[in-house]
Amino acid sequence: MKSLKNHLSVILPLFVLLFSLQFTFLTDKIVEDYSKKLTQDYSIVVVAPKTLSSAVMKSRVKGIKSIEEISSKKILDRLKGNISSKNISLLKIALPKFYSMKLKSFPSVKEIERIKKKLLSTGLVTKVETFSKTHNRVYRMFQVLKNTAFVFSVFILIISVLLMFKQMKIWLLEHRERMSVMALFGAPFWMKSAVLYRLVIVDSFISTILVAGTFIFFPSIEKVKDFAQSMSISIPKFDILIDTSILLGVSLLFSLFIVSIVIRKMNKE
Amino acid sequence: MEHVINAENLTLAYGMDEPIITEANMKINPNEFVFITGKSGSGKSTILKSIYGEITPKKGILDVCGVNIKNISSSKLNLLRRYLGIVFQDYRLINDWTVEKNVMLPLMIGGFSKGVCVKQAQKLLKHVKLLHKADKYPLELSGGEQQRVAMARALAHNPIMILADEPTGNLDEYSSEVIWDLLKNAKEHLGTTVVVVTHHIPSTLGIDYKHFFLESGVVYEVS
Repeated sequence: MKSLKNHLSVILPLFVLLFSLQFTFLTDKIVEDYSKKLTQDYSIVVVAPKTLSSAVMKSRVKGIKSIEEISSKKILDRLKGNISSKNISLLKIALPKFYSMKLKSFPSVKEIERIKKKLLSTGLVTKVETFSKTHNRVYRMFQVLKNTAFVFSVFILIISVLLMFKQMKIWLLEHRERMSVMALFGAPFWMKSAVLYRLVIVDSFISTILVAGTFIFFPSIEKVKDFAQSMSISIPKFDILIDTSILLGVSLLFSLFIVSIVIRKMNKE
Repeated sequence: MEHVINAENLTLAYGMDEPIITEANMKINPNEFVFITGKSGSGKSTILKSIYGEITPKKGILDVCGVNIKNISSSKLNLLRRYLGIVFQDYRLINDWTVEKNVMLPLMIGGFSKGVCVKQAQKLLKHVKLLHKADKYPLELSGGEQQRVAMARALAHNPIMILADEPTGNLDEYSSEVIWDLLKNAKEHLGTTVVVVTHHIPSTLGIDYKHFFLESGVVYEVS
């Protein structure tokens, strides 16, 4: 019972640490995926007195994916009933060219300003409409979401590490007698500490399996699926090989680092 | 190796405190049986601790098995300790290990295979008449039995020297006799040097021994 409690005292902070890490990865992936979708829908409208060459614009302004002319036919057709055909022809000549410009990635507020300035500085464009109000709102929402997940993870990480330090000290006190007896007979450092290293390695594996299991099982729940669908987001699949390896690596790195620090500190005392 | 222990003008102290042992001179030869006696707090155990490197000499020379203990590195100290067998008044057994595993400890540290460790442990447990309790845990044994296990552990790796700190301090007369017999046998049959810190030298020991007496931080050799 005591042993189980001891293990849980390390497994729990490790689980929380790995969970928050994987949650951050997941949030990043979802935001990235969502911003890709938004990029497809987002475009800048550009007004030019003359026909714009796609190649020229792409070479002058970085980040442009495609330029498409917006046909003025629809507007002119609507005016046909009110204006004479002669005036329509004149209007057709005088009317500037309208272009819809798509970007390679969802831009930040700064990037959008840069693109706007760059477009105007070419001298080929007279007006740029970036729909910045809507864009900025969406972009800021993404930033808030990403930053919140990051701050949350850092906070959880600090708490988890502190809890693990505390538990390692308790373990070490429990094993101190055994370690001092071993030292009297000339046991090397690794042998004296082997039992603690073995414990954290086992707990690292257990925590990783639990977190991997959670992230495999979680997206398959119907309610979660419905929620994701209602938000138009797709939850990325948990890659058993890559994601588990990353989690295990992080888990081992943290736990072995902490146990080594505690043992070395105690040895010096 | 002329002397197993060679101490010249040895001064010992804990940290910055006043010295406990001052300018001590001791020479212990291989296969000698040595008693270190003195009043409580006279520094008997401190001398023993300095021999197995628990405390570092403040001044003077202390050579153990030809190795200078002063400024010894931790890896060298580990190596040196593998040639020593240590017995304490409070046994210092690992309570969550079986009796057999406790006896195997010095052999495991020495890198012997599990088969060799088990065989040697069983041989020694038979020698101390505790083979039938090999699977028990130390706290299931009496004090005398625990000290016999500690003796078996100290002898397991055929050490050059056994250091015993009041090994019979907590034992009844019968158990004390068993321990003295084991220490005597180690000297006579294994050629081990035995250094015992004690309040009282048993009158029925029946072997030649060297005797150092401690008083007010000074070590006297009693002839």
